[in-house]
Amino acid sequence: MDYIYHLLVLVGIYGILALSLNLVVGHAGILSVAHAAFYGIGAYATAILTTRAQAGFLSSMVLGVLVAGLLAMTIGLVLTKLSGDYLALASFGFNVIVFGIFLNWDGLTRGPLGIPGIPRPAILGLAFSSNLHFLALTFLVTALVYLIIQYLTKVHFGRVLKAIREDKVAAKACGYDADRYQVVVFALGGALAAMAGSLYAAYITYVDPSTFSVMESILILTMIIVGGLANAKGSLLGVFLLILLPESLRFLGLPGTIAAQTQQMIFGLVLILVILYRPRGLLGEFRL
Amino acid sequence: MVALGFNLIYGTTKFFHMAHGAVITVAVFGAYLAVEAGAPWLFSFPTAAILAGALGWGLETAIYRPLRKRGASSLVLLVASLATLILLQNLLALAFGSQTRVIPGTPLGQRGYDLPGVALTPNQVTIILTTAFLTALLVAFLQGTRLGKAVRAVSDDREVAEVVGINVDRVLMVVFVVGSAYAGVAAVLVGGETGIQPTMGMSLLLKAVIASIIGGIGNIYGSVAGGLLLGVTENLGIWKVPAEWKDSIAFAILILFLLFRPQGIFSK
Repeated sequence: MDYIYHLLVLVGIYGILALSLNLVVGHAGILSVAHAAFYGIGAYATAILTTRAQAGFLSSMVLGVLVAGLLAMTIGLVLTKLSGDYLALASFGFNVIVFGIFLNWDGLTRGPLGIPGIPRPAILGLAFSSNLHFLALTFLVTALVYLIIQYLTKVHFGRVLKAIREDKVAAKACGYDADRYQVVVFALGGALAAMAGSLYAAYITYVDPSTFSVMESILILTMIIVGGLANAKGSLLGVFLLILLPESLRFLGLPGTIAAQTQQMIFGLVLILVILYRPRGLLGEFRL
Repeated sequence: MVALGFNLIYGTTKFFHMAHGAVITVAVFGAYLAVEAGAPWLFSFPTAAILAGALGWGLETAIYRPLRKRGASSLVLLVASLATLILLQNLLALAFGSQTRVIPGTPLGQRGYDLPGVALTPNQVTIILTTAFLTALLVAFLQGTRLGKAVRAVSDDREVAEVVGINVDRVLMVVFVVGSAYAGVAAVLVGGETGIQPTMGMSLLLKAVIASIIGGIGNIYGSVAGGLLLGVTENLGIWKVPAEWKDSIAFAILILFLLFRPQGIFSK
């Protein structure tokens, strides 16, 4: 049972990542391969603040979210100057740079050793130490993120985004400051990803750089493309499939490294097949 | 030289062929197997070139052409090729493990020629000579032959090229095969310097992408110049900052170029 709770917590955390990336890629049309960078910033914020500064979980999360949001805003300002392939490539580069910082700034992040011993959160006297309790917390946050995104995409703001995605020049001609809309969405996406990172750090109680490489960004991107862009339910479906599918490999009893490689292979294969035969993904409303 | 092949493909097809990285790794491991099976070391070059060319052909036929026919944007092609890269790279890692290997018979670490101030190993001399020769060959092909002209026409404007009767699909195929074969040869050379491993394609590819953009997309001389500049900056940088930051520096340079001089040093 605990194992199932564990899987569901992972689904919840990736759910937040996928929902927020879907907002950036699916709704605003910014193909970003940098999501894991913001995810990592949130995770490291919680890891560093709770182990060294004795900060509480919530305050560390808030700080992580703020840092990631501000950074995403700055990066967004740069990225919206670019378009198409170059934008994707620059975001890729940004992820590599942030990964380099996690890996090499030993003084802050302890480099490849990672930071162990992150406490499980306790909010208002409630301790979320067991997996079941943590699942409740994750579920709560994921549901909140889901509702926020559903709301944002329904109202005027979301419709403007859609217009920008379909035709940026036309949206500009209608008087919308398209760049500013995209920057705001990118910052919001980064902030939400940091929230997921905070949860991840407190759940696993250990962070190291390898979790936040470009591969991770591509994995999240795969999830939302398989599930279908610009559809929140699709994103969650993609997360379910791509977390549970490789999880079944575990029962084959493959050794660790082989399992990881097989898993990545499956992601690659699934992504190719979806792009070739079902470009909209399972529930998508928009295709790249 | 990896950049050379990549730039040729990008300049003509207008999308980032990330699977280029996987193509060269497959080629280099093919060469490794061939030499392991008893072929002489020099044989690894044609093996890698042919394998890479064939794989380039396969990818174009199986994945890129159907997508293009559907009118998919370059972003879709980018994601598809990224997926291919991940698939092939992990397939290789499963088959060969992730430790570093050396193609047997590579003239490694031998003391070569001492020019004033620099010492070059035979492998490094081979790299310089081969790069110069293959660059010249590519330029001759593009400038001098009918097919080369067609390639340039397609990279300038695909639709117009189609209108004047150039078989665009065939030209793109040629570009994929030639570009991949070039990268295959390059990979064997690099393998002689650093050994070969399943993930080498990815890092080589990223260098190639950066070099192409710094040098100027679609400009052959630009790739070589960009590669040179990147190599020099990275290695000079090591004097001041620790070597682990190499990748971060390379990408920081890339982002600066994208922002302030997106057409590269030598614009086309």
